[in-house]
Amino acid sequence: MATNEATTSIKKLQVRRFKPDENPEKHYLNEETGIWAWMTTVDHKKIGLMYLASITVFFFIGGMLALLLRTELLSPARSFMDADVYNQVFTLHGAIMIFFFLIPSVPAALGNFVLPLQLGAKDVAFPRLNLASYYIYVIGALFTIFAIFTGGVDTGWTFYTPYSATTSGNVMAMTFGVFVLGFSSILTGLNFIVTIHKLRAPGLTWNKLPLNLWGLYATSLIQVLATPVLAITLLLLTMERLLGIGIFDPNLGGDPVLYQHFFWFYSHPAVYIMIVPGFGIISEVISTFSRKVIFGYWAIALSSLAIAFIGFLVWGHHMFTAGQSSLANMVFSFLTFLVGIPTGIKIFNWLATMYKGSIDLKTPMLYALVFLFLFTIGGFTGIMLGALSVDIHLHDTYYVVAHFHYVMMGGMVMAFLAGLHYWWPKMFGKMYNEFWARISCGLIFVGFNMTFLPQFVMGAQGMPRRYFNYIDQFQPFHQFSTMGAYVMGIGFFIMAGYLFHSLRKGERSGSNPWGSRALEWQTSSPVPLHNFEHTPVIINGPYDYHKPMSEFQLGIATSHNGHDHHAGDNTDISKTEKEQA
Amino acid sequence: MSGHHISSAKFLWGVGTTLFLLTFITVAITWIAIPAPWNVVVAIGIAVVKAIIVSAFFMNLYWDTKFHAMLFVLSIVFFLLFIGITLLDTLYRTDPIPTF
Amino acid sequence: MSQPSALEEKLDHLQHHFIDSDQQFEASKMGMWVFLVTEILFFGGLFVAYIAYRTWYPELYMLASTELNTFWGAVNTAVLIGSSLTVAMAIRSAQLNQIKGLIINLYITIALACVFMVIKFFEYSHKFEIGILPGSYYSYEGIAHEKANIFFSIYYMMTGLHGVHVLIGIGLMIWLVVKAKKNVFHSGYYTPVEITGLYWHLVDIIWIFLFPLLYLID
Repeated sequence: MATNEATTSIKKLQVRRFKPDENPEKHYLNEETGIWAWMTTVDHKKIGLMYLASITVFFFIGGMLALLLRTELLSPARSFMDADVYNQVFTLHGAIMIFFFLIPSVPAALGNFVLPLQLGAKDVAFPRLNLASYYIYVIGALFTIFAIFTGGVDTGWTFYTPYSATTSGNVMAMTFGVFVLGFSSILTGLNFIVTIHKLRAPGLTWNKLPLNLWGLYATSLIQVLATPVLAITLLLLTMERLLGIGIFDPNLGGDPVLYQHFFWFYSHPAVYIMIVPGFGIISEVISTFSRKVIFGYWAIALSSLAIAFIGFLVWGHHMFTAGQSSLANMVFSFLTFLVGIPTGIKIFNWLATMYKGSIDLKTPMLYALVFLFLFTIGGFTGIMLGALSVDIHLHDTYYVVAHFHYVMMGGMVMAFLAGLHYWWPKMFGKMYNEFWARISCGLIFVGFNMTFLPQFVMGAQGMPRRYFNYIDQFQPFHQFSTMGAYVMGIGFFIMAGYLFHSLRKGERSGSNPWGSRALEWQTSSPVPLHNFEHTPVIINGPYDYHKPMSEFQLGIATSHNGHDHHAGDNTDISKTEKEQA
Repeated sequence: MSGHHISSAKFLWGVGTTLFLLTFITVAITWIAIPAPWNVVVAIGIAVVKAIIVSAFFMNLYWDTKFHAMLFVLSIVFFLLFIGITLLDTLYRTDPIPTF
Repeated sequence: MSQPSALEEKLDHLQHHFIDSDQQFEASKMGMWVFLVTEILFFGGLFVAYIAYRTWYPELYMLASTELNTFWGAVNTAVLIGSSLTVAMAIRSAQLNQIKGLIINLYITIALACVFMVIKFFEYSHKFEIGILPGSYYSYEGIAHEKANIFFSIYYMMTGLHGVHVLIGIGLMIWLVVKAKKNVFHSGYYTPVEITGLYWHLVDIIWIFLFPLLYLID
């Protein structure tokens, strides 16, 4: 194993500096071109981009559905869609955004692209499995589309029994699609865990691992531990519809609350599948744009793992009013508060990183700040919902809707956008228009708060979620909220515009436009086909901005793992480290 | 490296024989009626012993890197969390299956 | 890990992003272990359903398990343990470069797995005859408990999913035989044999728990 050799044995590596090529002629985008080469590629970067394209399509569909919902809610009762259609539309909005956008967004799309680069590896451990997981995702998506056109689904994204076992829509195709999708998620997680363990570049010890990778590692653990339970749940639900096995169906003697236990044992940790990789991105972005070493490296790294673990203990707070025993209610309420601890640790460490930093308010950093603001609101309202007595009042109201949109959209989507803008030059070697990017970021921020702040108020006053109709008292709030949704929509269309423009005519970005010390920036942009032309060697942490750039661009001087001793300008790795100390 | 442990044929047969024996014991024990909770405890206890033998000596966990054993234990810990916390609900309800 | 030098040359299996065979072997093995974690939690869900219902209706489990034949359950347990043993022997043969032994052991394993499925088939068909069908098709009158259908739903889900895993295992084993006959495996490269073995042992372990939980309740 490469890592062990570099750190634990006394073998010395001959290293020298490899400056990245600022204007590479050959890179992963222009080698192996053509549709067939893309479809059969095992290159993690191309698979990442294919995921990125797919989730963009689903984000567009889910977003348009959301705009339809908000438009319908401009006035009480029917304006242009029926109640049944409305039910199907909000189900699809939820299912698509969660299963097809949020869950694969950071791990499968950005993670796939950036994880081997940050490790200094040529690829993930199982490249073919990686491609397979993409196609499994596509198959799952096809089943879902099939479900939409053969009856639709109106159960909400949670598929609660007994309604899901008896409703007339094509629930089976939908749940089977999500079941298939689960395997895609599992395989990605499996791949990442093994890659992080086995394919780290020489010198990249666990305490030098970028925090993004700690985030992805924690995420992968959740994916691997929780997703199988979703698989068995949906399989049982499918069997419930197919054979009437009765485990979850009260008409046949089963227990619907048991279904909710099964479902939330996956779906609560899944919330952390969505948000924890976002934390990783925020750590990278804040450190890079503050020009400062990250504050509390281990606190941030381990709090990701802590969140992953605690996330498994709190699922019952979704079921306070579902008929579960009061003992379980108490235990779950208590455990829920624990989530606040590691999350708070992260927020404080990020703030401390920015303190006295040389902050550069580029677009990724703007999104990171938006994240901090919105996610904190989302987190605090989550604590309120975790309090048992408060939740009895707020359960299934717009308050919950606003809360999870603040966490999922205000947190995760903002982190995703931060990551997208941060790594965009690395992906395509081109810059986007900074001016329009800031405009769009501002519109999204304002639009988001216009949309969801009124929903907190409505929810607290008793407006139930998922309702087609409402009393007149809520109309001003709904209208304001809908206006906000339109503003946000405009923001996203501007983003689509300048990103598309950047792809076609964007100016060249150079290999490292942000001056980052992280490993993925020490190779040319766009990245060479096999990531690095050399085997990178790591001697400093990824956030050591007080050390010169030259120390971050080292690689093994000879292709024979450092056994030759003839090269002239080589630096001895142990010597360099001594000089630093 | 720990990954390539080669067991002798004799040893593998020994492990197999032990497992056959334990299977016989777990059946034989049902012939003497053990009172209610303990019959389950004994049956599961024997199954756990068998599972440990299989994982340690057939799946080579005994010689393998600790991380693989950790993964194995981790999965069981999370299963226990799943069942343990679910039982906090199902065992303490006033009405086993709520009627609506 | 030092390998016999004659085999050092055979590196067709080494993928470009790994440094050496050992790294690739260790990565594959860890991948399989992570996969086994997902398998355990996958079956774990069914065990949770089993335990929840058992704590609610202990008498149901007593009554219903009498319909399951302990003798054939025990035979099947022995068959699976035997197949685990032959898989372990197959890995040993591969490690020692005995390709013939590897193939023979794989054949025995496949045969034992088929015996398991045949016995399972007869158990199922007997139940179907007397009306113990899964889910809402359940029509057996012999168990005086209103939730008897749920016990057998759980039974069919658990043993059915386990059976599917056995079938997948048989498929993998056949694939291994084909590859072994093409002389792909040698003591320097037997990763597929090793990780299929891990999978097969897990299928065995799950049955080790299913047997007392379903057949030996009374």
